[in-house]
Amino acid sequence: MLSVMVVAATLFSVTTVMDSVETSIEKGTARLGADIMVVPAEAEAKAKTALLAGEPSTFYMDRSIEDKVRKVKGVKAVASQVFLQTAKYRCCDVSNMLLIGFDPKHDFTIMPWLSKELTRPLGTDEIIMGRGLTAYDVGSKIKFYGKYFEVVGMLEETGMKFIDNSVFMPYAAMKKLAEESKHKKGVKAANLPIDKVSTVLVQVEPEISPQRVAIFIEHDIPGVKAIVSEQVISSVRKQLFVLLRSILSISIILWIMALLLIGVVFSMIVNERQREIGLLRAMGAKKSNIFRLIMTEASILSIMGGIVGIALGGTFLYVFKGFIRASLNIPYLWPSAAEYAVLVAGCLLLSFLTGAVAALWPAIRSMRMEPYEAIRRGE
Amino acid sequence: MIEVKELTKTYKVGSDIIKAVDHVNLEVRKGEFISILGHSGSGKTTLLSLIGGLTKPDSGTVKIDGIDIWSISDNDLSELRNRKINFIYQFASLIPTLNIIENVLVPTAFRPKDEPINYYEFAMELLDIVGIKDKARSYPAHLSGGQQRRAAIARAFINNPEIILADEPTGDLDEETEAEIMDLFKRMNQTKGITFIIVTHSSDLARQTEKRYRMANGVLKEET
Repeated sequence: MLSVMVVAATLFSVTTVMDSVETSIEKGTARLGADIMVVPAEAEAKAKTALLAGEPSTFYMDRSIEDKVRKVKGVKAVASQVFLQTAKYRCCDVSNMLLIGFDPKHDFTIMPWLSKELTRPLGTDEIIMGRGLTAYDVGSKIKFYGKYFEVVGMLEETGMKFIDNSVFMPYAAMKKLAEESKHKKGVKAANLPIDKVSTVLVQVEPEISPQRVAIFIEHDIPGVKAIVSEQVISSVRKQLFVLLRSILSISIILWIMALLLIGVVFSMIVNERQREIGLLRAMGAKKSNIFRLIMTEASILSIMGGIVGIALGGTFLYVFKGFIRASLNIPYLWPSAAEYAVLVAGCLLLSFLTGAVAALWPAIRSMRMEPYEAIRRGE
Repeated sequence: MIEVKELTKTYKVGSDIIKAVDHVNLEVRKGEFISILGHSGSGKTTLLSLIGGLTKPDSGTVKIDGIDIWSISDNDLSELRNRKINFIYQFASLIPTLNIIENVLVPTAFRPKDEPINYYEFAMELLDIVGIKDKARSYPAHLSGGQQRRAAIARAFINNPEIILADEPTGDLDEETEAEIMDLFKRMNQTKGITFIIVTHSSDLARQTEKRYRMANGVLKEET
């Protein structure tokens, strides 16, 4: 039971983390809504860090690049964003948060993912927040550069810190905020360059691959880097899955060891209980009754081991969820209840199979024993 | 009712072949109360196991109510054992993880599920007969050797067997308990018509049976 418990706990934890990462990567990519992220060539690393780890960073390029990108072959839609990092100088201003200014007219990355649809345009003192900023909710007031903003919408959680930990406002509002901050006493002026954008998000035509369009963009527009979302995601997936695959390999080795161990243990149990098995046969038990008895015991023990293991794995994940999120530093979204149910069912099935497969030979051996021999040997 | 013909069973011990049962012939009528007397290693326990279908003979036949028990399937033989035969052993044969009432009810687990019999009440009745009703919820480890033997005897009667094969049923018990158990066997034999074959090394015990056989070196002879 102990060995099944260890295997179930490890497998459950690892598969849950793998599933979580996979889900959040897929969800995050979909929420990003863009196939390509165009950034200044020198800011590629910063952009990837911001995208994956959500670390606030700012970089800018000329606003005219947006129009240039729009004209590239294969581009379906374009939306620019401007990043501004908040700075704290007076009490109650929130610092080190990434403010993202977007153009509501061309936006396809923010507004569609509001958890509750907003039917009116955003005002200049209204913002939308990522779900990761848990201290706030719709109706909350928050102060940036000495100006209060009201939260009017929350995005659904994506697991991508870039989206979950950012604050979104129309570019016009951001521009106004920067302008006003210059005239406020005790407030450091927002350093927002005029006519600059941080990134141009691109949706490509369905018949052309994002990789191809990225090549066109980099060819047509000097000084920019076209980051294909898929490629960023797959590189993360690759890095993480190397680690998780090693853990999974250890789990598989553990599983094989558990199989052998349970097999040996049940062989010993059958040897120890030879007399009991012989007596049961003498009292009228059929071979099938004995087989079922051993298999049922093995299945119950391994399912119990599985349940305890899953509970331990689940507790481990729950207790260390913050640590896991922080140490992985990658998009991470906990599985839904349905996904958890599938994982639990899968681990339970595996636990059951472990016991059943391991006890199969001892069960067959016990079934084949001649009753008299079994009673005599067990004496 | 029990018809044993030319029954032979040999064992290989190292390079030696030992004839545990050597061309044994025996007829036991329904309701008979017989004993087989013999020293340790004379082959009497093996003979009892051959009659009860627990081990297969090298040659010869065992017929119970005209059925050659070694010509039927293993499932049918198990059913036949469950319906007609029960064993009482010389050792404590209770399952240690079950309490006494559960031990007594074990054979009923292999009966058809739709039987209209309240085995629980019958089991309590049997425990009352053997004098350990108050121990129904106790575990074997908490009972004396004599009480465990009584529980095993109660279990032997739970399926209303037609034949009881008892292997040294009173071995290592005091005289008083031995007498009580023999009285119980006689009562069951007379009131329910159960056939008893008792294997023993005690001449005193053998003298209490209607018919006596002696077994030596695998050969069975009736005592006159």
